Amino acid sequence: MSKGFDVIEAKNVIKKYGTVTALDDFSVEIPKGKIGILGPNGAGKSTFVKIALGLITANSGNITVLGENLDKNSVDIRRKIGYMPEHDCIPNHMTGVEFLIEMGLVSGMDTQSATQRTHEILGHLQMGEEKYRKIEEYSGGMRQKIKLAQGLIHGPEIIFLDEPTSGLDPKARSEMLDTINGLTEVSKTNVLLSTHILQDVEKVCDYVIIVNNGKLQMKENVKELMKRQSDFIQVRVGGGTDEFVSILKNKSITVMSDGRSLRVPYINDNTFQQIIDAAVDSKCQLYEMERSKVTMDNIYLEVVE
Amino acid sequence: MNNEAQVSEKFTKYDAELTTRPKIVIGMGLRGFFNLIKFDNKSGWNLALVFLIYLWSMVFFVLMASDNNSYPCEEIGNDFKYCQPIAYYGDMGLGGIRLFLVTLAAIASGGLIANDMNDKSLHLYLSRPISRLDYLIARFIPIFLLLIFVTVLPNLIIFITQWSNSGLEFDWIKNHKWLIFDIILQGLFYSASYSIIGLTFSTLINREYRAAGAFFLFVYGTTLIAEIFHLFVNDDRVLLLSIAHLLDIVSFKIFGADYYFTSAFELKGIELTNVEIFGALTLIIGGCGIFVNWMISQMEANK
Repeated sequence: MSKGFDVIEAKNVIKKYGTVTALDDFSVEIPKGKIGILGPNGAGKSTFVKIALGLITANSGNITVLGENLDKNSVDIRRKIGYMPEHDCIPNHMTGVEFLIEMGLVSGMDTQSATQRTHEILGHLQMGEEKYRKIEEYSGGMRQKIKLAQGLIHGPEIIFLDEPTSGLDPKARSEMLDTINGLTEVSKTNVLLSTHILQDVEKVCDYVIIVNNGKLQMKENVKELMKRQSDFIQVRVGGGTDEFVSILKNKSITVMSDGRSLRVPYINDNTFQQIIDAAVDSKCQLYEMERSKVTMDNIYLEVVE
Repeated sequence: MNNEAQVSEKFTKYDAELTTRPKIVIGMGLRGFFNLIKFDNKSGWNLALVFLIYLWSMVFFVLMASDNNSYPCEEIGNDFKYCQPIAYYGDMGLGGIRLFLVTLAAIASGGLIANDMNDKSLHLYLSRPISRLDYLIARFIPIFLLLIFVTVLPNLIIFITQWSNSGLEFDWIKNHKWLIFDIILQGLFYSASYSIIGLTFSTLINREYRAAGAFFLFVYGTTLIAEIFHLFVNDDRVLLLSIAHLLDIVSFKIFGADYYFTSAFELKGIELTNVEIFGALTLIIGGCGIFVNWMISQMEANK
């Protein structure tokens, strides 16, 4: 390991598809643990994952995965990487067991180890006799689980999960997230979760990275981020806003502006009265007061916009 | 609970001993080969064709070739030399072994890459510790082995038949080492060429049966068109556009015989330089290889 801690380290990575720049001087250090990559469609998430997997090469820049430079070793590094693609990619004519054993063998395992590990993983996934059924008979949730299992079959150090809950109903989604948490926890596997569903990141990840327009917009510890999730009162006033803010400040209330309106931290119901008093004292027109909450959605939208 | 804890510990401490890339590729290739010849509905057609080829070979060699004293090669007329091993593939014009061989190559190779592209499992294979070239070699091995099984092995019967006719003398083997070498080289050449073309169609048309059909039509269609065209323009280079003719021309070269073919019910020789022949071969086979590699790289990039 180059730094002994980061599992992926990207430095000034540029990737262009014709005239479109997918990654624009992208730099990030991804620590061990479970990391979520968030970003809108076309932000550069998949490109980053593909480069980290060694499937495509960057136009310039440098990227190391688990301490290995991908310029020098983009194929063998995949022994330490698992990958779960977003789309359906499992052959329907095989049974769950046959498919996982085949994936184990293609990863370089011998038949005995691949068979043993297959049954262990399927045991963790609580797949009973279904594992001997053809995959074409599986439900959407079971197919996702098999896709996850194939990524973990060879005991990788890190697994890239691309939209693992895409297309699942809420119950299956919740089960899938529990499975990801359970399996990666027990197998001590680092996770790189690419998604645009914020709740998935909240439930699974330790860190979140927000990517937009090919650039890193934010890297934050999820727990720290959750602390920022707090109640506030959204206030819209007309007239002398400065005096209104100043009066609240004198009452030890910090006011934040998000451009169009003001945010006043909600302490208790008395805060509403303090806002009304401040508006009266500053002779402002009070148009709107609404209790609201800073969620990851708000933070994400703020960062992306 | 205790059991579960033990399993979890083993699971947690799992450290796979992974083998080398060449072994992964050979393993994939061999599993693919056994899939092509296993007893099930899908592979049944392959087995039926293999059986037909061996049956035809037995009839061809044991009943026909064993009576031929000037075997393995004889002069027919002043211009042409007739060799049994090369006649094996064109014993009845466009029929016989070649028909079965092309059909087998089409059916067996049709799904090798097409199925992986169709169900998108190609993406999973390419995310494993193998390169694109490794994957292609792994998919080449099954069809190549299958075709060797129906080219080199049956054609070696020719060698054994002739050796038997000569009284099973060891000296005969020493004097005919060239024959065994040429038979093997010819079989490898046909097998490799049809395998590469088969994989190209499997990649180009990612539906197994359509790919097989297109392969078959390509081999026989280009032959028919080239022969008709040849009647009008009378330029031998036209034959290079036909895969069957091109492969036969090279096959004749392997045995040191001048190529001839039947056109309008008469035997015709050709006048082509080695540069033209091997240039066309390199262009077609090389083009197929580059095309397949490019197609897969596109899929890889568009995951």
